[in-house]
Amino acid sequence: MNVHVAPLSPTSFESGPAVVVSNLMRSYGSRVVIEKLNLRIERGEFVALLGESGCGKTTLLRALAGLDSIQGGRIVAPRRPAVVFQEHRLLPWDSLWRNVSLGLQIPNARERAAEALTEVGLGDRLDDWPRNLSGGQAQRVALARALVQQPELLLLDEPFAALDALTRIRMHELVRELVANHQPGVLLVTHDVDEAIALADRILVMRNGAIAFEHRAARDGSTPISRAELLGELGVMSHSPS
Amino acid sequence: MSNIELSQIDRTVIGADGGVPSQGGDTSRASANRLGARGLQLLSWLAPVLLVIVWEWLAQAGWLSPQVLPAPSKVMRTAFKLATTGTLLNDLGVSLLRAAAGFTIGAAVGAGLGILVGFSRIAEAAIDRSVQMIRAIPFLAALPLVIVWLGVGEAEKIFLVALGVTFPIYINTVLGIRQVDPKLIELGRVQGLGAIQLIRRIILPGALPSILTGVRYALATAWLALVVAETIGAQSGIGFLAMDAREFLRTDVIVLTIVIYALIGVAADGIARFLERRLLAWHPNYGAAR
Repeated sequence: MNVHVAPLSPTSFESGPAVVVSNLMRSYGSRVVIEKLNLRIERGEFVALLGESGCGKTTLLRALAGLDSIQGGRIVAPRRPAVVFQEHRLLPWDSLWRNVSLGLQIPNARERAAEALTEVGLGDRLDDWPRNLSGGQAQRVALARALVQQPELLLLDEPFAALDALTRIRMHELVRELVANHQPGVLLVTHDVDEAIALADRILVMRNGAIAFEHRAARDGSTPISRAELLGELGVMSHSPS
Repeated sequence: MSNIELSQIDRTVIGADGGVPSQGGDTSRASANRLGARGLQLLSWLAPVLLVIVWEWLAQAGWLSPQVLPAPSKVMRTAFKLATTGTLLNDLGVSLLRAAAGFTIGAAVGAGLGILVGFSRIAEAAIDRSVQMIRAIPFLAALPLVIVWLGVGEAEKIFLVALGVTFPIYINTVLGIRQVDPKLIELGRVQGLGAIQLIRRIILPGALPSILTGVRYALATAWLALVVAETIGAQSGIGFLAMDAREFLRTDVIVLTIVIYALIGVAADGIARFLERRLLAWHPNYGAAR
């Protein structure tokens, strides 16, 4: 096992980084997917990771989640990150509160699940089955399940890609609100440029297994990045007049 | 049949949402479906009932010799007489006990091996081929050997039932475990589940539909095994009753035993369906829909 997930010292617990990645190397056989990648995400920071298919962005997320082993480098995270996948991955045989409390090792799990479900607007559906939910509702439950773990690092793997445009916009608002309340570090993997601009404090573009571009938005929005500029970084020609 | 099921699913979907459907058309369509379903159900019972009536009529009219096929009314009278003055209830109890004992043993062995092989590739390599080879034998063909081993007694009958039950349970348990969505297992890891929690919360519930299918098959085979085992050298039980009646050409008793076997088969299927409804309430194909 090459993944080093070591606890940080308690002093850095309050405002320290949510994750620090140094010199990460990941390959499938002889094909190197991620090479010498460095990344640091602070708690409360929202980072969006863009890149075309196959650039290694999902591989990076899976390595951070501890789902894949890595061939070199270090990943240091204070505790286990929470993940929301593109599919909701709710257990069809468990009620919503049982789904949300999956893996919680506390006595009042139902109460905590109820709080989390209330936060995502589904507090009245505790005992409902997942099959009775719409796509957006199911993804909200998946968000509640991630946040109930009180993660310091929240990994979002294209969680809104399968939703319709209106639902997606509502989900953006909800996620922004939840992240503001819980202050985890967030890594959002997406291929939606507008989504990245709308949500992220910092936008990264990944190319050939490394971070090729970085843009840090000011908190007051004074240094906006244009859609065209980002698309250019992604290798898409923009036809809008400049 | 499928029509009935479909309309019932419609109904529960409307009921599950809790509210009155917004479009009035939905309600009237549902009630039309309900009426249609009831009519179809009546129709489906019409043919069997007619058959029994014709049978009774033929027997009463003397077209059917009682030696060949006694009238349904005669069979029912025999059933009543044997139940009150004879050993029918005792024989029935003995048969049920044999089936239950054999089923329990077979299910335990099948599920145990299935779980082992489902989880461990090493166990699969060690066990699966042998089990598959034994499975290729029609288990009733092993009967003479079983009699040589165990004689004609309770052990032989229970063993034969257990043998018939083991394989459907085994195969469907392995299949069920293997078919659990790997994405859900991955989610379990992300949520920090340990091995035991992973099995309890994700793998076994995910395998349950397949395991219950195995149970249903196994109940049918258990019954078949029992009939065969009881036909050979039994001193009690429904099968014994039938063989005893054959000696005296009591076709009414023979027909009665056949009917009892059929009824218990139906009851066993009902139990399996009940289990599916209770345990798979979450599943769109089972649950409240049947």
